[in-house]
Amino acid sequence: MLFNSYTFIVFFIIVLILHNLPFSWKTKKINLLIASYVFYAAWNPPFILLLWLSTVVDFFVGRALYAQENKHKKKLLLVISLIGNLGMLCFFKYGGFLLENFTFLVNALGFNFHPAKPNIILPAGISFYTFTTLCYTIDMYKKKSKPVESMLNFSLFVTFFPHLVAGPIVRPPQLVPQFESPRKANTQQLFQGLFLLTLGLFMKVFLADGMLSGPANNSFAATTALQSIDAWMGVLAFSGQIFFDFAGYSLCAIGAALCLGFVLPNNFLYPYAAVGFTDFWRRWHITLSSWLRDYLYIPLGGNRAGKYRTYFNLMITMLLGGLWHGAKWTFVAWGALHGLYLCIEKAVRDIRKSSGVKTLITAPERKVVMASFTPEINHPKNLKNFILALGTFFLVNVTWVFFRSTDFSSAWRMLHSMFINNPKNTAVLTSLEIYKVGIIIPLLVITHWLMRNTQALTVAGKMPWWLLGLVWSAMIILILLSQNASSAFIYFQF
Amino acid sequence: MQTGTIIRAGFLAIILSILVMVSWEIHLRNQGNKIYYDDNEAMWAHYRGMVYEPSDKSTVFLGSSRIKFDLDIPTWQNITGNHVIQLANVGSDPVPYLMDLADDKKFKGTLVVDVTEGLFFSDFSPEDVATDKKINYFKKITPTQRFSFRVNHVLESQFVFLDQDRYSINSMMDELPLAHRPGIKPEPDFPDDFGVVDFNRQSYMTPRFVADTSLQNRVKAIWVCLGRVMAAPTSSAGKLDSFFNVIKVATDKIKSRGGHVLFLRTPSSGPMLENEKKGYPRAKYWDRLLAVTGCPGIYYADYPTLSNFVCPEWSHLKPEDAKIYTKELIKILQKDKGWTFSKKSNSI
Repeated sequence: MLFNSYTFIVFFIIVLILHNLPFSWKTKKINLLIASYVFYAAWNPPFILLLWLSTVVDFFVGRALYAQENKHKKKLLLVISLIGNLGMLCFFKYGGFLLENFTFLVNALGFNFHPAKPNIILPAGISFYTFTTLCYTIDMYKKKSKPVESMLNFSLFVTFFPHLVAGPIVRPPQLVPQFESPRKANTQQLFQGLFLLTLGLFMKVFLADGMLSGPANNSFAATTALQSIDAWMGVLAFSGQIFFDFAGYSLCAIGAALCLGFVLPNNFLYPYAAVGFTDFWRRWHITLSSWLRDYLYIPLGGNRAGKYRTYFNLMITMLLGGLWHGAKWTFVAWGALHGLYLCIEKAVRDIRKSSGVKTLITAPERKVVMASFTPEINHPKNLKNFILALGTFFLVNVTWVFFRSTDFSSAWRMLHSMFINNPKNTAVLTSLEIYKVGIIIPLLVITHWLMRNTQALTVAGKMPWWLLGLVWSAMIILILLSQNASSAFIYFQF
Repeated sequence: MQTGTIIRAGFLAIILSILVMVSWEIHLRNQGNKIYYDDNEAMWAHYRGMVYEPSDKSTVFLGSSRIKFDLDIPTWQNITGNHVIQLANVGSDPVPYLMDLADDKKFKGTLVVDVTEGLFFSDFSPEDVATDKKINYFKKITPTQRFSFRVNHVLESQFVFLDQDRYSINSMMDELPLAHRPGIKPEPDFPDDFGVVDFNRQSYMTPRFVADTSLQNRVKAIWVCLGRVMAAPTSSAGKLDSFFNVIKVATDKIKSRGGHVLFLRTPSSGPMLENEKKGYPRAKYWDRLLAVTGCPGIYYADYPTLSNFVCPEWSHLKPEDAKIYTKELIKILQKDKGWTFSKKSNSI
């Protein structure tokens, strides 16, 4: 079920009513669990079986892992869980990709092997709920937290509909304790949740789909070299589209949960105001980057095993992070570029540190959510850092070319068009599309910069109520006037 | 956040939003606008799902815009008692949809395929079926999409402003008088009154369009721009042979399951008709289509009752003529082609 669909509106009203009726807490949790399965089954009912399988296996394996003292048996249990979770992910998400590459390799070696193309449908949200259950079993293995006692609480932790399909990726300690005692949103929380839902839908429906998807799609669909302005506007449009799409989804998820009285972790903190890539990954898809940090980068050794090993670990983490987004080499290239940026940034910082040059580190500001691979660095809002943020945004745009392009030849063509202008090349964007991108993207970057150390609800709380009401109403009206047919969120395909 | 701030703001937002949208709705209605529907993938998929109705209870129509304008669905249904499943699409080649139905083993119904030569005989590739948005939407439709369609139908039936083609923010922004960039071909700007759509997917011209020759001339100019008037077929003889073979295979599949296929050539006029005649000589295209497939056909010019219509913009019938055309078509189907309908057609 999509947040931006009529079905969700009807569904959510029913869920809200049920959650506020005087049922026992257990009944309310059962209602939420059933609602979550309905939410998921609304896409493709049979895939609910996978969700059940994953839930049941990880619940029992998790408990056994925690209780098991025998090291070998414990490792065996972990392997079973990893094979179960990652095996499912590999089959559904990477089956076709692996076969395609195997075929290419075998044919390159001179064998004539042409298997039929597998027709595998990707279950919605499999990458997200696999990571959710994986972190539980790994935590159990490491005894980081206690096993969830109740199957109902565990099922709800895995399946809770706001985060199920596209995150935020939650950890057991973030959500499970919230199921242990009765929760219901008070009026203030309900309105805050509705405000976040509206903001998320405004970002998705009006900005991502209504304003930016057109220019992005038109530019990336071109099969010939583009004029530089068309290439740049297409890439900038995609930068905005993917942010508004995914951050919009996360806000809808957080808002929907808040309306029910639950708190989900923040997933975006104005990433286009990031000063450098360490900062970027502290602000973009925070729950994924912190997952990768805790369950991949640190277990690989993090920065504890020397300079070169740190670079290696960063690259591996980002390459796998890229592959997590999709079974295509272009995603790996996207991850590789981010890995490279992080390595270069770390190298520069190390050199400056060793030569005694004052680094960008300054007096700490209020802490934001930690999610990067290296320790937190705070950047004051000054012109120098703004220019550095623009530089980061420029480099992030280069990475989006690989993320959005269907193949490498399209990506190279787009990069070539961006950096070498030829007026004889094709023009694909209308004047209106150029105006849309030219107005929205600078506003997006400026807004991110101004709000980089705060959050939407904090800013909303400081506004006079009538001004907030006007802004809120404008968002509702623009959503209604957008009238976009319910289009899927980009991150659903991941 | 101060307690109460967001609550007061929320109530203000709700009241303001309702006030603005109600005012907008009243304004649109006062301008004479009526309820129309978005002819999108969801609506097409809704009707595509109906093709499994018994063949004596329904007729499926494929084609381009002409059959959407020319077939008056209420007239057809009133006279025949037979349900129309309109699957034609504006400006599109019907062949991928014919292939889709041919490959659907559950489809055993009666099919009428409207032939607008410039579209029907355009280059066809089997990939067109796999990549068609509407066919894919139907094949991958989810329960939530079905439910949303039903809710959307209820809302669209109540509010004029929920007309995406006319009053969505992007449609309204497209009307802004901005200079075109060199090298960018503007999208054809059809008058809003040219083709409005009902929930049964019938398209029709509004009375304003029928009365206003300047609007009709605007559409004629678009046809000229689009090259529809001047278009000549590009297919080589070999390509045409394989094209006819594709159509034969598709119609044979449907007939082998007990289905029926009839080809239909709806009226056109003026320079559009002259160029269609020149570009697609009847013997080489229409007659061969019937000969190769062995399917019956109705070419409007062969029947005096169908051949006297004048299309206001050369290509489609006005609503009043569509009613007459539909009545006459039913008579021909019964008398000439031996079709029978569940309801006696005494009212003709």
